[in-house]
Amino acid sequence: MKLSVDRITKQYKNKIAVDRISFDLTEGVTGLLGANGAGKTTLMRMMSGILTPTSGEISADGIPVQAENYRALLGYLPQDFGYYPEFTAKEFLEYFAALKGIERKRAKEKTKELLELVGLSDVAGKKIKTYSGGMKQRVGIAQALLNDPKILILDEPTAGLDPKERVRFRSLIEELGKDSIVLLSTHIVSDIEHIADRIIMMKDGALVWQGRQSDVEGDLEEFYLKRYE
Amino acid sequence: MMDRELKNRLADSFHAPEPEKKESFIKNLRPREIGIPEMVLTQIPYIRLPIWLFSLLIVAVAIGGSILGMEDTEFQITILMPFTAAITVLETHRSKRSGMSELEMATRFSLRSVIFARLLILGIVSGIVLAIASPVIAASFGRSTVHTAIRILIPYLITMIISLIIERSPLGRTHGYASFAVAGLSLSVTAWAYNCAPLITAGYEEFVSVWGLPTVIILLALTITEQWRTVKTVEAFA
Amino acid sequence: MDLEKAYDKIYRYAYFRVKNTAVAEDITQETFLRFFAKNGTFHEYDMKYLYTIARNLCIDEYRRVKPEELPEEGSEAEAAVDFPEDSIMVREALERLTDEDREILLLRYVNDEPVGTICKALGISRFTLYRKIKNAEEELKKNLKEDE
Repeated sequence: MKLSVDRITKQYKNKIAVDRISFDLTEGVTGLLGANGAGKTTLMRMMSGILTPTSGEISADGIPVQAENYRALLGYLPQDFGYYPEFTAKEFLEYFAALKGIERKRAKEKTKELLELVGLSDVAGKKIKTYSGGMKQRVGIAQALLNDPKILILDEPTAGLDPKERVRFRSLIEELGKDSIVLLSTHIVSDIEHIADRIIMMKDGALVWQGRQSDVEGDLEEFYLKRYE
Repeated sequence: MMDRELKNRLADSFHAPEPEKKESFIKNLRPREIGIPEMVLTQIPYIRLPIWLFSLLIVAVAIGGSILGMEDTEFQITILMPFTAAITVLETHRSKRSGMSELEMATRFSLRSVIFARLLILGIVSGIVLAIASPVIAASFGRSTVHTAIRILIPYLITMIISLIIERSPLGRTHGYASFAVAGLSLSVTAWAYNCAPLITAGYEEFVSVWGLPTVIILLALTITEQWRTVKTVEAFA
Repeated sequence: MDLEKAYDKIYRYAYFRVKNTAVAEDITQETFLRFFAKNGTFHEYDMKYLYTIARNLCIDEYRRVKPEELPEEGSEAEAAVDFPEDSIMVREALERLTDEDREILLLRYVNDEPVGTICKALGISRFTLYRKIKNAEEELKKNLKEDE
């Protein structure tokens, strides 16, 4: 599958948040690097179909981002999200399974499987509001995976995870990148250092560098910092 | 364990003649379509319990009051129904309030259809409540069912329309429970007219018997328009 | 995993049960239609469901038509395929296995399915499956030895 982002721009009244960005993604993990305010979240929101670009087009194998069929392929984890206060993790996932058009019986199975995957099986029946930040983030990740997405967009997915959770998360992402397009943003270089095949770097809404991680000579962190001097 | 060579030979032996219609079949294969009725049904479990309880309360008041022959029953229903309108409107920005909207916008059935489904369910619930309450009250107090239903509907619809407009305005975005203020206002006006201004009540009676039906039709049309506007703007992402 | 690969696997599975290309392809398509009647997307995870559906369809087909009544085919379609010399030997050895042994070998070694998928598809436990795989292998090897 090819996900193409073609000259995407998002302009607010007096600020260009994303400035004519183009790239193509295929199966594998892509890291989106940039400081806070570089436009990563705006770009990812546009790629998830929740924010309309001022100009430019996004499509996956020709399916435009606005289409229901695109969203059927998509898994999205926003930078920050809430939950209906009465929800348990299990209810939260089953709710999203319904919105993703997954049949009830299968939704139950998938929910169970994902709760196991993110290590929350034993607290599945507890309200999310009793969870720690890392646990809540893991529920969010599970939510994104419900529909076996071919396109997975994760905005700062490691935020709030403790070091052990981070390691587990990284291997999960690596696995998912084998047959899905995974785009994950972060401002922590080490999050993607070993798992991203490709790197996209953003600064002030513009793309400053993109390429394979293997093309980066020497240390990725140093290389990254140099782009921002 | 099986050695590699034998495995290869095995793969060769299980060679099936090429399928003929593969490409065209896969091209035409579409994921399951999910119609509006099914989408709406999936949302029913997510309507909150207080809403069901409140609807039941109205029905109970209508039936109980009628059985006991309490003259105030219709008045009570008339002031209670606007609160179901307020709850309905509250439901349209529950997602935003809980921080769920960004997630819900990125799912196959977007937030728009979720809100549409909820409005539809709550509309049907209110309709059922009205369909039970009006004939019961009408029969017990010797009035016309249509007349009773219209009198209950008018403040309900007006509350709904004003609440929807306020809820989309900057004021509504900062004051999440503004629709309850509208319902409260409706309660005050109705109560004041009922208890202190018999002339207005009589005039209203007169108005309802002549202009009631066209008024309800116009208000219904306005309600649907405003609901549609809300559904459309719910995904506007700033 | 893409649909084409899944199609090939299900088709191959069905073909070696009904031994008729047209019937196998019908079963394959019916399998996918039934799957998509209930699901929005397909992923590798779903192979077990596809096998389960296909398996039941094959069994129904078996009940409906006795295999010997199916149009003799193979000679023509298969003549077009150039089989390596020694694979003919394996084919003969396979012919002497039970249907179940053949099914298991196909799923495990030709379609390369993970053990979990096969267990779900056949409705048996891991333990049972390991034992059956081992038996099928031994039978096959024994048959091959006899031929040599």
